[in-house]
Amino acid sequence: MTKLRSLPGYALLAFWALFSLFPLYFMVVSATNTSKDVLASRMLPGTALLENISVLFSTQNVVGAMTNSFLIAVGTTVLALAVCSIAGYGFEVYHSRGKDIVMAILLLAMMIPFAATMIPLFQLFARVGMVNSLWAVVIPMISTPFLILLFRQASRSFPHDIIEAARIDGLREFSIFARIYVPTMRSTFAAAAVITFMMAWNNFLWPKVILVNNSILTMPMLTANISAGYVTDYGVLMLAVLLSSLPTMIVFFLLQRQFAQGITGAVK
Amino acid sequence: MTPVASDAKTRTKTPRRNDPPPLPNYIGNRKPWLNNTRRRSLTGWGFLLPAALLILFMSFIPMAQAFVLSLQTGRGTRLDFADPLWYNYQRLLSDEIFKLTLTNTFIYLIIQVPLMLTLALVLANLLNNPKLKFKALWRTAIFLPCAVSLVSYSLVFRTLFAGDGFVNDMLTGIGAIDSPINWLGQADTARFVIILGLLWRWTGYNMVFYLAALQNIDHSSIEAARMDGANAFQTFWYVTVPQLKPMIVLTAILSINGTLQLFDESWALTRGGPAYQTMSMAHYLYEVSFQKNPNFGYAAAISYVILMLVAILSFIQMKVGDKRD
Amino acid sequence: MKSSAKLAAALTLTLPLALTLSACGSGGEAGGEGDGDNKLTVWTWDPAFNIYAMEEAEKVYQQDNPDFELEIVEVPWDDLQTKLTTIAQSQAFSELPDIFLMQNNAFQKNGLNYPDLFSDFSDSDIDFSEFPESVVEYSTIDDINYGVPFDAGTAVTALRTDVLEQAGYTVDDFTDITWEQYLTIGKDVLAKTGQPLLSGQAGSADIPMMMLQSAGASLFDDEGNPTIVDNEALEAAIDVYTQLVDAGVLIEVNSWDEYIGTIVNSNVGGTINGIWIVGSIQTAEDQAGKWGITNLPKLDTISGATNYSANGGSSWAISSNADVDLASDFLAATFAGSTELYDTILPKAGAVANWIPAGDSDVYNEPIDFFGGQPIFADVVAFGPEVPSNNTGAYYYEARDAVSTAMTQIMGGTDTATALGEAQANVEFAME
Repeated sequence: MTKLRSLPGYALLAFWALFSLFPLYFMVVSATNTSKDVLASRMLPGTALLENISVLFSTQNVVGAMTNSFLIAVGTTVLALAVCSIAGYGFEVYHSRGKDIVMAILLLAMMIPFAATMIPLFQLFARVGMVNSLWAVVIPMISTPFLILLFRQASRSFPHDIIEAARIDGLREFSIFARIYVPTMRSTFAAAAVITFMMAWNNFLWPKVILVNNSILTMPMLTANISAGYVTDYGVLMLAVLLSSLPTMIVFFLLQRQFAQGITGAVK
Repeated sequence: MTPVASDAKTRTKTPRRNDPPPLPNYIGNRKPWLNNTRRRSLTGWGFLLPAALLILFMSFIPMAQAFVLSLQTGRGTRLDFADPLWYNYQRLLSDEIFKLTLTNTFIYLIIQVPLMLTLALVLANLLNNPKLKFKALWRTAIFLPCAVSLVSYSLVFRTLFAGDGFVNDMLTGIGAIDSPINWLGQADTARFVIILGLLWRWTGYNMVFYLAALQNIDHSSIEAARMDGANAFQTFWYVTVPQLKPMIVLTAILSINGTLQLFDESWALTRGGPAYQTMSMAHYLYEVSFQKNPNFGYAAAISYVILMLVAILSFIQMKVGDKRD
Repeated sequence: MKSSAKLAAALTLTLPLALTLSACGSGGEAGGEGDGDNKLTVWTWDPAFNIYAMEEAEKVYQQDNPDFELEIVEVPWDDLQTKLTTIAQSQAFSELPDIFLMQNNAFQKNGLNYPDLFSDFSDSDIDFSEFPESVVEYSTIDDINYGVPFDAGTAVTALRTDVLEQAGYTVDDFTDITWEQYLTIGKDVLAKTGQPLLSGQAGSADIPMMMLQSAGASLFDDEGNPTIVDNEALEAAIDVYTQLVDAGVLIEVNSWDEYIGTIVNSNVGGTINGIWIVGSIQTAEDQAGKWGITNLPKLDTISGATNYSANGGSSWAISSNADVDLASDFLAATFAGSTELYDTILPKAGAVANWIPAGDSDVYNEPIDFFGGQPIFADVVAFGPEVPSNNTGAYYYEARDAVSTAMTQIMGGTDTATALGEAQANVEFAME
């Protein structure tokens, strides 16, 4: 069995892990420092954490923003997984030249910078009176060519003979998808869930634009508010940012075993 | 085969024993249009429908509108069709700032993407080893950067790379440099900071894709290679990587797309400075739309140039890498 | 888990979500004139400054109108500009609030491009002569007023009195001087204390722009043509700037946070910026009592040079979706008519009035401890009317960025004429 050639492997992992964590350490430490100390690049934890917390929660609606961001992220993730997984499955399992062409066309949709389509999209939602609603934030983010592509590529390694076997056993097409494909491709779903959650949570531009009267705030919008004053309290800002980053970290932590574990015998 | 209710109604003749049983919706002598193959095919298209419809309305229609915009000139809402129609595209050719942003974006693409993907691949492979200790720890540590919000990571990087920031302190401390480097004030070093930021932030992200893909490949092939005497590198290169091809193509396309459309880092880390030397095309597009005197036609033209570049490169990628076996 | 169970789970998750989303949604009352009665919506940024001022204005107005209500929404300036542009381009004017704050530098751009966003002040009771002309100019288009000046961007020279003392100087030595004298003193202070007198963001044209405006010059002429080349005042300003950097009297840093850092961490002996900078200065509590304010040095080689200038500043605008009568009455009674308001907001927020009558009150003449007992606000209000006008035009940001780029090149060794020539070409290109 593969013995890990210990040193180079561990060394690279350790180096990259440290490199990844260091700026985060700075962020955490800064959340406990005063603004002045943060600007002086202070590396040690300070005593201003409680003060920063009280300033943050009294000047901004943190709970509201967290809730909104959460609703948006979970909503987007669930819907996106549903819609894009069946699409990716469809592209791969029912493969045809026609579908390849359609895929290529759909891919084009993700190649245009968002700033260019932002205003026509806003106009669309304004016309149907959906500006300032959470649905308007979620809907454009559900179907992304990238997720579809992910599922399609992942499906390439899904053995087609299983599908044939299931058909012979009399299963309907959608049942094959639901009962065989979904449990087998758990790792892909988990990875897709993490990625989508993260993207939906951190999405800044579109929510800012469509939630035009700021009656609903998301966490990225809240942190932008903090950094936009004449006087910025950098300690409070770092705290806000830390809070903003926690949910994604938690989701990742919960799901990581899913996409790192193997296929568990759904196939025989 | 499960008998279906319609059988009772439609079966008019007793089938001969050697004939294959009739299809459930067999009406008289005629073969039904909706046979299994066709039904399957329709279902296949049906699977795509929700996603495709959403993309049509959320992306394609705005894109079409943006294209029409790109053929118009004027400021604010006073837009008229340009004369000639491709005026904005022509104007791009003589726009010094745009050319600079084009160069910058390509520099990021050529240097950062291959580095990042290779690193992510190697790291994922290392993490996939069952004998590795503290797996969850490494995985979490490496993924965390992409969980962090944009505002924070740019502030952190700016502070760390400031004139009197940590990086300079450390480098002078160990004697690597004599005087502090003005990281964000010079073009080359500023671009380096952006590339470093991109690597920091997105390597873990791609690693996640590769980890998922690695789980889907057949371990027996690796075992077999090992038993044939291949070492770690050979196994990796000749056995693992080819099986990961679909995922590699995916991440390559995504990274090309992401980098050519780069906005966040240029906006938050360096503000495009110094003097536009690190500004990306998408950032310039945003400036032209919202910060300068709004010239939406021109901005739309820029976006289409980006689209064409991404499309061409992705197309090449798929042709080269994505063979179906 | 069986897939049908999984499906069921997914649905149970989605359904309440769907309900919550639709419930939370349609918070869409833009708050514009749809409210009918005594309510106004305001979009502005910065809780400590603008929002606080608006809250106090609400209280003042409620004295005579008890059932008046003001809804203040916090929107950072960048966002506000994006929102305004988006709304204007999509013609979705019903999303506008009644009143919004706008940066003076952006007023011409928005007013010329999107006149449909604004209502004018022609029917209001506001006496615009009670504001400094230079500030009212920003929000005036074709002689019609579209904005009530609020936050003064009046520029000051802020200095660390303890550092000066060490070198044997006082703030008076910096009052009504020329840049040449400033440079000389600066070098001396540097030599004696090791402290530069100024810091600034590299590649930012703030300081040269302030110098430019102090000499009554602009980047555009009256017809809106860029005057970056053949602009004596600009060349003189850049020349002074270069000399300051070369002598080490001005240190350049790379970001706003770093700039603030140099001030609060005592790495510089002073700064030159709009009066709003005192908010940031005052976060350095250990420096209390060690600062003083005076006016700017002048570019004495240019005729028409003064010791006064401005940086930034903002004005309140009434939107096209507003209850215009109520909004203009509100603004007239508060920001353009209430000394009580300005007295209240000054001590707490350091919000200095542009409104000239406000400067007469006692509050403005109070000594401020942080600044060694100097009544800085009275001084600043006195500076206000002396500030020369400046021509921004719709392409102000293009020109400013072009000059910033030129500055970077000049600091890197390029010859001034070449760099400015390129800047002019870039602006002309952008105006095509």
